[in-house]
Amino acid sequence: MKKTVDVSIPLGPMHPCWKEPVRIKCETAGERVLRAEVELGYMKKGIERIMRGRPWQEVMFLAERVCGICSVIHNMVFIEAMEEISDITVPPRAAYLRVIANELDRMASHILANFSYCYTIEHETLAMYLLNTRETVLDNLERLTGSRINTAYMIPGGVRFDLLPEDATAMLVDLMKVEEEMKRHTRIFETGPLIALRSKGIGYMSREDAIRAHTVGPTARASGVEDCDLRLRHPTYRALGFTQITRTEGDNFARVMVRFQEVFQSIDLIRKCIETLPDGPIRGGGFCKAGETSYAGEAPRGELTYAIKTDDYGRVIDIAIRTPSVMNIEACAHEMIKDASSIADVTSTFISSDPCIACNER
Amino acid sequence: MSILQKIKNTVRSRSIHVSYVDVGSCNGCDIEVLACLAPRYDIEQYGIYVHNNPREADVLLVIGSVTPQWVDKLHDIWEKIPEPKVAVAIGNCPISGCVYNRRGTLTSPPVEKYIPIAAQVPGCPPRPTEILNAILSVAPLIFKDYEEKQP
Amino acid sequence: MKYLYEKDLRQMKYNILTSTRHDETVHAIAERLGMGEAKLRRTILRRFDMSLLENLESRWQMGQEHADNGDAVAEELGCELFTRFIPLLDTETMQTIYSETTAMTQEIPFEEAIARGRERIREAVLS
Repeated sequence: MKKTVDVSIPLGPMHPCWKEPVRIKCETAGERVLRAEVELGYMKKGIERIMRGRPWQEVMFLAERVCGICSVIHNMVFIEAMEEISDITVPPRAAYLRVIANELDRMASHILANFSYCYTIEHETLAMYLLNTRETVLDNLERLTGSRINTAYMIPGGVRFDLLPEDATAMLVDLMKVEEEMKRHTRIFETGPLIALRSKGIGYMSREDAIRAHTVGPTARASGVEDCDLRLRHPTYRALGFTQITRTEGDNFARVMVRFQEVFQSIDLIRKCIETLPDGPIRGGGFCKAGETSYAGEAPRGELTYAIKTDDYGRVIDIAIRTPSVMNIEACAHEMIKDASSIADVTSTFISSDPCIACNER
Repeated sequence: MSILQKIKNTVRSRSIHVSYVDVGSCNGCDIEVLACLAPRYDIEQYGIYVHNNPREADVLLVIGSVTPQWVDKLHDIWEKIPEPKVAVAIGNCPISGCVYNRRGTLTSPPVEKYIPIAAQVPGCPPRPTEILNAILSVAPLIFKDYEEKQP
Repeated sequence: MKYLYEKDLRQMKYNILTSTRHDETVHAIAERLGMGEAKLRRTILRRFDMSLLENLESRWQMGQEHADNGDAVAEELGCELFTRFIPLLDTETMQTIYSETTAMTQEIPFEEAIARGRERIREAVLS
């Protein structure tokens, strides 16, 4: 890109605030940031290239390892895309169990994102509270799927494990604890005067900018973009009566608050799922066939699209993954960070958009 | 053993500074390292501080198979860490490349090609307790009587 | 002076563009501008940063839906599309091309004026 001024402040690739390596070069005039440039390539593993020509049984595990934080939804979208290609129907109990696993993963991811934000603005107390709450959520994910991070819970035509009644009871008790704790953390965040000073009105992104860069997920919802939650179109979520959360401020505070509110929504969804969990088998049958489709689902960070082409043996011939972080990081670097009033705001603004570099580069 | 060495041993056993670097993984191991910070595991009760600053680190946790950008930079980071130092590989990726070490990949594992690795924690990803255990068992081996072991 | 972290990024940027969807997008942009794919690829590798390259596809998609509604000349030239959605040109250059093309449509036939306008856009992109 063309340089407008000489002073260029690089942040990264190793930075105390960032979990993953990325490099941002900020061109500044004094403290004011004029423009920012993102340098990637630190996490490019070429996973789409590895996936090509492999059977779906292998691609399923590779899809999970696109991103460790939101691995459940990567699994779910890939499997549902394969089901759409091969006309496999899922038993109702399995569909509900998928929602439970997905919402637990979403809660873990949102709490982690808010932890990172609080850690970045140096509110370490709240950050540690949140991280501890996240452990309880991960316990429940482990109770359901048997693993904390890479779960491989879903398979075409169903899920691997059933939710036992005693586990469901334990999960409800844990969820009550999580809800109580999250209410307290949300109150701390919402009413803290110093947090408001560091968050409100900083990193503003207007609705037009959000639409132009195709932002998705909490980042778009905080800027007031309506109808951008793909859970509204998912049949199981529709049956559960899902509604979207939208805020209009478009600053760091709104983005973090949207995530806090979505955690409560996820808790409600899981409760509703456990209450109305239908009986029946958790695995149907079916064969993976040849076909081509583009399927999208709502990841914790936004819209996740898998474009897949398979052959008769269920091998993946061609695959293109569009992760939510691709759009969010780009919008963050070119719309939010631009005109930030100080360099100190760059890190917190960047973290507030919940960047996942592993997703972004695959 | 001199008194000075004894004092150094005591101090070093309770102040281990950790820095972690992700050289291309799925960031599942990243967040498991972060989970060690949580009050449940409470990494700081053992005197371990996670800084993510190589210049004041003692232990470097390496996560991930090596991507093109890190091929030259990983060694630079290793050089910046003051002696005594130790590198621990977290997860399968730095050991073998895990699922990324296939045809068509852009990565070039293992990490041992670039920096010396003292300990490995296999798993995809390993649990936070395992990571904690690895740091606690490898640090005394390297740091105890460091000056006396020097030729 | 040795730059510590600066590195030649062209190979890595090119790797991003080799993905199926990105390849299709570059093809579509080249067709819209009426220029060679290789030339366009070289230009965007030079001008865009890596994050923008990753996002090229969704920006192009949103540009198709939301850019330049109403004005016929702007729609044909892709005024907003190539400045705000996909920043191949800066706004001032595009504004000059747009106003001159609008003036030309008064004197010569519409298609011819648009063709000349597009020619100027191609020159500006390659410069």
